[in-house]
Amino acid sequence: MVEISKLYFTYPNYKTVLQDITFTVPAGQIVAVLGANGAGKTTLLKLIGGLMVPDAGSHITIDGKAPQALAGQIAFISEAGTYFNDLTPKAYGRFLGDFFPSFDMAYFELLLDFFHLEERPMKKMSKGQKAKAEVAAGMAKKTPYIMMDEPFVGKDMFTRQDFMQALSGTLTGKETIFITTHEIKEIENFVDRVIILKDNEIAVDITLEALRQEGKTIQSLMKETIGYREDGFCSFLDGEE
Amino acid sequence: MLDFAEMVLNTAEPVYAQINEFVKRQIFLGRAKKGDLLPSRRELATLLKINPNTAQKAFRTLEEAGLVLTPKNTVSILYFDEDMLLDIQREMTAGLVAEFVKKLKENKLSLEEVQGLLQQEWEKGEKNEKYAEA
Repeated sequence: MVEISKLYFTYPNYKTVLQDITFTVPAGQIVAVLGANGAGKTTLLKLIGGLMVPDAGSHITIDGKAPQALAGQIAFISEAGTYFNDLTPKAYGRFLGDFFPSFDMAYFELLLDFFHLEERPMKKMSKGQKAKAEVAAGMAKKTPYIMMDEPFVGKDMFTRQDFMQALSGTLTGKETIFITTHEIKEIENFVDRVIILKDNEIAVDITLEALRQEGKTIQSLMKETIGYREDGFCSFLDGEE
Repeated sequence: MLDFAEMVLNTAEPVYAQINEFVKRQIFLGRAKKGDLLPSRRELATLLKINPNTAQKAFRTLEEAGLVLTPKNTVSILYFDEDMLLDIQREMTAGLVAEFVKKLKENKLSLEEVQGLLQQEWEKGEKNEKYAEA
């Protein structure tokens, strides 16, 4: 369980990114953290994952402990990439195996096959291939907490769907997942809950079941909350790779 | 094996409710029979690209409705008796009629007009069937 209350985060240049964030996520829930660029989504994920420390007085615990005390139990899957450019995927996998006690090498190799990734230094890979290697490494860590920061960026529609399928087939239902994305369509039937950040605060926090009872979709909710146009972004990316 | 390959998810109802509806519809249409095997929760999650907890919830509600039996840690099977089948038939028909009436009302038709149109359409169908037989 992730418990957050009165969370504030201010950068050293005194720019406040998050203020008065309070919510609790039970184990096994899949939460979409949405909002416009710069709304603080990535910052929130980094704070939960223990990569950054919030302002004094803020409260974040995971299973009753500070995030930093849960090293090896939180996996980060990031658009920016967490791999080393000179390593091949498998060499990187062996490196991760030393760090994450739960790293599953056999499963990692299965995912590399699934994504058709060859053994070559990751700096020589395309943006899409790097993203796939990143996802495979993150999932093979088999941690109870997974932070996914824009996992679909740089992936075409078919790869996005392959990824969703790999993810659905991999999870046990016990993992708690936070996911930020602009690809609303891919997660519409996948997440349990949506949190929308706006103007440094939580603008909406609703379960998918409650949302649908109100006759809304995540897409329509985004539109009414931040005036978001989904197509503007994804059609642009589909041409890449 | 109950086939979910044709199932297309919408974004209007909760996913577990859609899975329930799909299973009932397969029974209603006679495409699913008593004793048919169901995919595992993981297989269902992978096929529909949903999260495993949602697949679990769909199974749980089907089990609560008595439509799915899962003997101790084995494969789940479909189950229904005459009464349950009747209930499903009623439910499916009621839903169809409710939807139909809603659309007719949106089109500002009166009950009399609809009854007339219905009779006309019904008889047209019967004529066609007779031609088909002959």
